[in-house]
Amino acid sequence: MSLLRTLSAQRRGAPLAIVAMVGLLLIAGIGIILQNEAAYRDRQAQETRVHAEILSASVTAALDFRDAHAVQEAVDAIRVNRQVRAIGVYDAAGALIGGYGRDGAGPAPRFAEPLPPTGGAVTSAVPVIIRGERIGTVYLASDPEPLSRRITRYIIIGLLMLMAALVVVVLGVGQNALRRVNRQLEERADALARANAELKVQIGERAKAEDQLRQAQKMQALGQLTGGIAHDFNNLLTVIQGSADMLRRPGLAEDKRLRFAEAVVQASSRAAALTGQLLAFARRQPLQPEVMEVNELIDDMTDLLDRTLGERIEIRTLLADEACTVEADRTQLESALLNIAVNARDAMPGGGILTIGTASVHHGDQGAMVALSVTDSGVGMDEDTLGRAFEPFFTTKLTGKGTGLGLSQVYGFASQSGGEVRIDSAPGEGTTVTLLLPCSGASSAARAEDGGAGPARGRAGRILLVEDNEEVGAFAEDLLSELGHDIARARSGEEALERALAEPFDAVFSDVVMPGMSGLDLADRLAQERPGLPVILTTGYSDKITRSGAGGRPIILKPYRLETLATAIDQVLKDRT
Amino acid sequence: MRAAGRLGAALALGLALALALAIGPARAQPSEDAVKAAFLPRFARYVTWPPASVPVPAAPFHLCVVGHDPFGGALDRAAGSELIDGHRVAVRRMATASQSAGCHVAFVRGAQPQDTARLLAALRQRPILTITDARAGPQRGIIHFAVVGGRVRFFIDDAAAAERGLSISSRLLAIAAGVRQRRG
Repeated sequence: MSLLRTLSAQRRGAPLAIVAMVGLLLIAGIGIILQNEAAYRDRQAQETRVHAEILSASVTAALDFRDAHAVQEAVDAIRVNRQVRAIGVYDAAGALIGGYGRDGAGPAPRFAEPLPPTGGAVTSAVPVIIRGERIGTVYLASDPEPLSRRITRYIIIGLLMLMAALVVVVLGVGQNALRRVNRQLEERADALARANAELKVQIGERAKAEDQLRQAQKMQALGQLTGGIAHDFNNLLTVIQGSADMLRRPGLAEDKRLRFAEAVVQASSRAAALTGQLLAFARRQPLQPEVMEVNELIDDMTDLLDRTLGERIEIRTLLADEACTVEADRTQLESALLNIAVNARDAMPGGGILTIGTASVHHGDQGAMVALSVTDSGVGMDEDTLGRAFEPFFTTKLTGKGTGLGLSQVYGFASQSGGEVRIDSAPGEGTTVTLLLPCSGASSAARAEDGGAGPARGRAGRILLVEDNEEVGAFAEDLLSELGHDIARARSGEEALERALAEPFDAVFSDVVMPGMSGLDLADRLAQERPGLPVILTTGYSDKITRSGAGGRPIILKPYRLETLATAIDQVLKDRT
Repeated sequence: MRAAGRLGAALALGLALALALAIGPARAQPSEDAVKAAFLPRFARYVTWPPASVPVPAAPFHLCVVGHDPFGGALDRAAGSELIDGHRVAVRRMATASQSAGCHVAFVRGAQPQDTARLLAALRQRPILTITDARAGPQRGIIHFAVVGGRVRFFIDDAAAAERGLSISSRLLAIAAGVRQRRG
């Protein structure tokens, strides 16, 4: 079998090997049969000779003494063997003394060498010798085993060989089939591997293409951003610059001076709102969440909205009886509401109804939520617009009329507050924007007193101002001095720490983002070294504060107004006493 | 030419047939004495003598005819063609048993049955295969010829042979008309 495997291992040699093996088997079979036949003949010849010798020995005396009767008796003893065809016992002169012949084939009447040919029979002639003298001959012819029996035996051998050959053929064919299947499998595996490699290349190319597409989209967005921002800022800067120029004119009337100053303040506020929106979009604006009642907030805003939307738009409110409280940044929420309302107004150029509603809902596994919905009766949005509504810088308004950041701010605020926003709209059907915000378990705190009317004069103190930017630092120093405080200026966290340890201060007012020691680090160190010394932080934006908060310290966002600063300082000084 | 050839062949065949018929009966029924003469030298083949009596190489076996000789030249011819283990067979004729020294086989026939008995008695002490004939009287040697069923047969007294130190082959005993078995 191992031979067969070795042969089969050689791919093309295998069928030839099978044929050779079958041939060998058949030749071996024929060889065995022939050898068997020859051996059988030999054995029969030997048997015949032995028979003849036995007869020769037993008829010696009878032959010697011409006792034909005794000779015949000896012959008859042999003839019981059915294979014996003919027996002849001859005297020295060759005359037949006794004999026997089956089926009419009698022994020759006279004995003569060579032996007469007999059809298929095995013959043997043995001399009868007594004391060295030949006194006669015994002739014996015996039939071989009947042909049918021999053939039966050989057929069995032949069948065995045939079966062996068959087994070899079947094994060989099986082996071949297996090899063929293996080859096909290998080919398929190769094809699969090739396809896989091709797929990988395609995936790589696709990823590359997508990267390029994203890059292109980013560049496009950047273009829109710079365009929109530059436009808005230029407008605001024109107002600020113009007003400042007018203010510098000597002998300006008091009412004009106030009007130009107010114009600067308003333009600056709008610019601040714009940067606030940008930061909200970038999610870089730190939130100042507070617990509030949504219904109250809407009530408070109704007047503002009325003024903003104009007379042609009627505002209706559908407030839930028990709308829950939320914890969110009030300014951001107001901004969001205002952005949605402004969009609604723009969608209703001919006037319409704006409905603001609240409802308590349970949304999935997020628990109780407040749904704040704003519905207009305007033109609605088609599917394409709807799909891109939250996209930053996407706007349907004319250039200069909108930055494309309104709904982006709404989206950014909602995500940052753990809620979400939805828009339901169809062309001609109006639009409903729903803001979902998680309910807060805490009760609504009383609204902090807003400085509002102007700088409230609190107690004056000694303040350590930490600011790396020279202009902002000088400005803040002016503001704080104007508020009556004693100011010490430090330009880095390290310097501030050194001075705070060396001199007594009532409060520290520090920027957050500075090279070296940051405002947060400074606050942490001071909390250890000078516990009880209050620290007020200020920042345009800060990753750190957005991520981890200010550790409970008050934060003033840039740009800040005089009132905001005064209030914060007064608060900490009041707490300190 | 052809007819003549065929006639010749037929004639030759006829002649051969006639010859065969003439010889056949002659061979089939030889005279009783001729048969016995042919048998006599052959007995020696089936008998083993004591070592002292076996002839030295080149010496013959001695076949003695003691008393009356009924065979004449036939016995000489039969013995002349015989060869036993390379030994020739020599025929000696004698009137009395006193000359029987050196005999291996002795055909004993007195003029009268009593003579035969006397001769046998004289030979009894020697290792000699004695042979007698029923025609000459009832006295028996070791081998005794008799015609049984029209054929020349013989009886064997194996006991007597044993007494004389002779051993007779079972082959011979097998074709004997009767055997007196040796004791033990």
